[in-house]
Amino acid sequence: MTIFSSLSMLAATAAPKPMSPILSGPPEALLVLALPILGVILCTLCAIMRVRTRMPAFLTVGCLAAAFAITVGLYLKSGPAPVITSGFEWINLSWGDSAGENSPFHQFIANFSLYLDALTVLWMLFVTGLATLIALYASEYMSGDVGTGYCRFFAAFNLFVFSMSCLVMGDNMLMLFLGWEGVGLCSYLLIGYFYKKPSAVEAAKKAFILNRIGDLGLLMGICLTYVHFGSIEYRDIFAQAQPYIDAAKAGRYSEIPAIVQLIPVLLAVGAFGKSAQLPLYVWLPDAMEGPTPVSALIHAATMVTAGVYLVARMYPLFLLSEIALPLVGWVGALTALFAATIGMAQFDIKRIMAYSTVSQLGYMFAGLGVLTSTGAAFHVVTHAFFKALLFLSCGAIMHGFAGQLDLRKLSGLRRMKGWGIVSLGMLVGCLNLAGFPFTSGFFSKDMLIGEAFVTPGTAPIGWILLLTAGLTAYYTFRVFFRVIVGPVHYEPGDELHSAHEEHAHGDSHNEHAHGDSHNEHAHVEDDHQHHDHGHGGHFHPHAPGWAINTVLLTLSVLSLAASGLYFVPTGVHGGAVPAMVDRSSAAYQSPFAHHAIPEGAGDGGHEGPDHAAETVPSYVPTSIAMEDPHAVEHPHENAGTFLGWDPHAVLFYVSGAVGFIGIFVAYVLHYAGRTTAATARADALLPMLGPIPRWAQHKWYVDEFYNLVVRVPLLALAHTFHLIDKLLVDGLVRMFGAIPRWLGTLIRPTQSGELHGYAAGMATGIAVLLFIVFMLTLR
Amino acid sequence: MNPDTTAPTPDAASLLDQWMLGLLVLVPLAFALVVAFSPDKRARATALLGTLAAGLLTVVALARFSWSNGAAFQFEHDVHWLPSLGISVSMGADSVSMLLVALTALLGPICVLASWTAITERVRLYFVSFLILQAAMVGVFIARDIIFFYICFEFTLIPMYVLVSQWGSTERKRAATTFFLYTFTGSVITLAGLVYVAWINAGMAPGLYAGSGSWTFQIATLQITASQHMTLSQQSWVLLALLAGFAVKVPLFPVHTWLPLTHTQAPTAGSVILAGVLLKLGTYGIFRFAIPFCPDAFMHYAPVIATLCIIGILYGGLICWVQEDVKKLVAYSSVAHLGFCVLGLAALNVAGLQGSILYMINHGLSTGALFLLVGFMYERYHTRSMKEIGGLAAKMPVWATFMVFFVMASVGLPGLNGFVSEFLCILGTFQASDKWATGVWGSAGTAIPGATAGNLGPWYALVAGSGVIVAAMYLLIMVGKVVFGPLKEPAGHGGAHGHDEHHGHEDAHATEAHLPADLTAREITALLPLAVACLVFGVFPAPLLSALKGPVDQTVALIDTARQIPPPGTPSTQTAAADLRTLEHEPKEASR
Repeated sequence: MTIFSSLSMLAATAAPKPMSPILSGPPEALLVLALPILGVILCTLCAIMRVRTRMPAFLTVGCLAAAFAITVGLYLKSGPAPVITSGFEWINLSWGDSAGENSPFHQFIANFSLYLDALTVLWMLFVTGLATLIALYASEYMSGDVGTGYCRFFAAFNLFVFSMSCLVMGDNMLMLFLGWEGVGLCSYLLIGYFYKKPSAVEAAKKAFILNRIGDLGLLMGICLTYVHFGSIEYRDIFAQAQPYIDAAKAGRYSEIPAIVQLIPVLLAVGAFGKSAQLPLYVWLPDAMEGPTPVSALIHAATMVTAGVYLVARMYPLFLLSEIALPLVGWVGALTALFAATIGMAQFDIKRIMAYSTVSQLGYMFAGLGVLTSTGAAFHVVTHAFFKALLFLSCGAIMHGFAGQLDLRKLSGLRRMKGWGIVSLGMLVGCLNLAGFPFTSGFFSKDMLIGEAFVTPGTAPIGWILLLTAGLTAYYTFRVFFRVIVGPVHYEPGDELHSAHEEHAHGDSHNEHAHGDSHNEHAHVEDDHQHHDHGHGGHFHPHAPGWAINTVLLTLSVLSLAASGLYFVPTGVHGGAVPAMVDRSSAAYQSPFAHHAIPEGAGDGGHEGPDHAAETVPSYVPTSIAMEDPHAVEHPHENAGTFLGWDPHAVLFYVSGAVGFIGIFVAYVLHYAGRTTAATARADALLPMLGPIPRWAQHKWYVDEFYNLVVRVPLLALAHTFHLIDKLLVDGLVRMFGAIPRWLGTLIRPTQSGELHGYAAGMATGIAVLLFIVFMLTLR
Repeated sequence: MNPDTTAPTPDAASLLDQWMLGLLVLVPLAFALVVAFSPDKRARATALLGTLAAGLLTVVALARFSWSNGAAFQFEHDVHWLPSLGISVSMGADSVSMLLVALTALLGPICVLASWTAITERVRLYFVSFLILQAAMVGVFIARDIIFFYICFEFTLIPMYVLVSQWGSTERKRAATTFFLYTFTGSVITLAGLVYVAWINAGMAPGLYAGSGSWTFQIATLQITASQHMTLSQQSWVLLALLAGFAVKVPLFPVHTWLPLTHTQAPTAGSVILAGVLLKLGTYGIFRFAIPFCPDAFMHYAPVIATLCIIGILYGGLICWVQEDVKKLVAYSSVAHLGFCVLGLAALNVAGLQGSILYMINHGLSTGALFLLVGFMYERYHTRSMKEIGGLAAKMPVWATFMVFFVMASVGLPGLNGFVSEFLCILGTFQASDKWATGVWGSAGTAIPGATAGNLGPWYALVAGSGVIVAAMYLLIMVGKVVFGPLKEPAGHGGAHGHDEHHGHEDAHATEAHLPADLTAREITALLPLAVACLVFGVFPAPLLSALKGPVDQTVALIDTARQIPPPGTPSTQTAAADLRTLEHEPKEASR
């Protein structure tokens, strides 16, 4: 009803704007937002009606699957130019004289409207698709909590998908901000899902607050964008920025005001917060306190890529600044390396995956920084699949071994009954993450590293990324060789005593439908206060059921199949996904790109009639692309090389080799000759490295450093303020009250009532003030 | 409402319109009288009926109000009182007044419901005070005569004093006295300022302004006199006098110290009304009097006021962080939040003013609800110390859900109401700099009335914006302790009152109603309207924004006249400064 009512109004206000007309988009796009909200409502109803079945999960899967189907429809419909689906009015203001009404600067418009271009659709495809799969997985994973907890989980899950959709699909920066903070809320709620666990509550809080620091940057960026461009709607911003874009294209950065160059820096601060980059990354590893499906969806595949989305979406503005993209690139590269070093020294497999997420996000930022928005987006997509797969595999292990995640206490999963699909999933995920040749991760990572060497001046970033690729392969296969293969050995985790016990307590008067052996086992153990439950004994791992296995298998296939996207002939290096990016505001054809176009370029068979990588839409995005038709055939003379070779030609082999070396080192150190779960050949090497492994294991003491440098001084300040408030300010007020009383006691010693004192002070004050006023005005 | 009264005969309708505002004040007073003479048992129900009747009348008023003409004062009515002195009871409401009256009416029944079991002694006096308070608050918002305004403004103090001193916590007497004297002192000075304007207007100051020759206290008349015929220094003094009362009421740093004390000692409903409406008397006063009466002076001193606001935001926020008493934390958070509200006013542009007025309403909804929730918790545990309680989500899931919801509204999560107002205040502050137009910051353009002009700017916005991080810190830490984490209940508390094993407190709280562990239907009924309002105003604030457009545009036009924006090209800051210097020495009409 109201959703469509303001459509005409919006069209009216949009009309006088100096811009090329923009088509209105398909109305069903709004359903992509409405369906998860429906899911929230249904799950809330389930909670109110105290539903004790897996109903909320299946309602969620239904809603999200429908949203995915609609997104696929949007993909099939999507054309080369962006379209806008109008929703309803959110925050609209206008001011100034009537002549100036309805022009930029004289109104502020932030509507619930959707901006649909290829970038939007690309993100929505994997967001809704993965959300559906992970909801299915969670239906089994969370089954120990059936009841209100289950409803709470899926309500927040749906709310997350809604927020993420707002973030990605909104047609203005404020709607992006709505989604931005919305996903932060859902992340908060879901990290803190096990709310009785202090560490989970702490992690949730930390995530929200650290994100808020980034959000302030984003908020200031939005304000600055508005003040400078007179609008926060993407289409207007890009239109208004066009003169600057032209200047930037010609390298005349001096024509771009410093204040405009500041905008992308502020936005980047927001992106660093949400995507866990240096220096704001510390919340993400702690976020692993949440249930594993949450880690997979929110903290690996989707939410943390919001920063990448922001940079990609606002790429035209990032190109206006001389410092923004180098900043993004360097922060990304350093984060990639830094997180990888921590990941190498961790023992908790979920934490290792968390650090690898931080590291891979660093790759994406580095990619954006070295001018390959297409490569970055491709890596987002491939990473979404294989990292979700890895997390869900870890989750299956955690679920089956009562929360055990220590790679020193798990070994030889492959040979255990019922763990075949998990082992396969781990293998596929690890191969992708390690950049094993011909996996999708290999291609996407290679695009980033190759481009870093091509773009002049960014070769150091390329070297860092190449080194990190080796480290990544090592720590990834460290997990694989320790946990999946080798001798069979396992110890159950401590979840027998913590989380499950609490849930049992919470739902004590209600019999779970869930009769898993380990759960019953948990009760027995609690009753007996039994602490030495390890070493096999009477613990039986609980192999995953059909839902988990189905999802793992699907994701394994998809992660492998994603490499096929690379070969889809589209005329753009890297295949279908980069081609989609090329049709969006993130489009940027590097002037230094001189890679060979795959065979059959320009056929456009896959993309259908929409294929428009070269047809520049009349408005902004691709007009940023250097309109140099010869760039492809003739290498740019400034283009960098990799030790004298063409980076794209040789890096396939180099990064493949680096990956092999990493895997081989992991094989030697963690598999060859290993007979127990706890120790491996690597342990012998550790003393040689001195304190470095310990420092890395303690995450280089960054948390402690922040605590000392930020939190402690602030807390001291807070206590000081509190003291001042109690003593000084309050005391001052009392003193003012006391002086008249003291005067009063001088005059009339019999009188000492407090009220009188105050009244006297008041009257004196008024008299004095009135006197002053009259004296001053009458002079 | 009786259908006869609303019958569409033109006479009845116009009569109703004429008396609408009068009724809004009189109905709670009439019910106060009824409560005073009804038995203790029926006092609650009568009070509820009274607030509901007032609420229904407010709904009628809202429906009959012409929202497209929000800047115009409607339902105007004058009752001559002391014609020889020009004093009359004159009433009228623009959209700002209407919205604040609506907020007052909404909180009325909610507060009665919240006091249902908490107040067990001297019930009649309690509800009589409460209903008188309702009437006085509505009176403040609809007054068009400064004497009537002042009487209502001061009259809020007496019932509030009674509520705090009779039904408060241990230090209630001290808190009530501090509250009374603190705010009374301030508002007497405000009266002095207002009377001074009336004195000038009456032409009693020969040589300054010829004046009308006769006394009047009509706000509309005095506003024109004050804004057009007073020098900058006169305006500055009047502004100082006005702020003396309003800043204490808001409260702005450094005159905020009465607030935490009073809040912690007040009964739950008292806190809700205090945070929800009474604090807004200060911000409303600034919007209604300080800015329109003294536009030049307000513009001149906006950076000072904004600085105080920003100090309040950060200072109040950081103090929240180290509080152990949940209620005190929420009280200090009001200092921080109201800082944003006044900051929006100090921005003096459309975004800032819209945001600020919305903030008045939104803060009333979300902070009012937080006080309710703290009160419901206190009724069950008899403590508010975060050292003694924790992890209540395990015991009170419904309470916990509401708590998280309203905390999110309070930290300004987009999609809920707090964000809209907070964002607009920050945006307004960000825009409010002449430098945007002069090209100092690289974006040379024209000054846009109502947007990019003023003497605040991005630095103010940035520092104030960091208050958003602080807000997330203290509120989430509070939630982390009280709502989440392992369950912790005070020693000796054998569980909530509904449990069978609870015998120990039976005698100690013999008169107290037995409350179940989680919220009752009555308590949920009190919270639900606030939650719905928070969500609706967060997602769809458009009706509010368009309703407020009229008054805000009017105020901005006034400011722009005062600002006398120089033609593009001239360095505006210098011109403005020069203007102010000339204004300081000669009456304004001469300079025009």
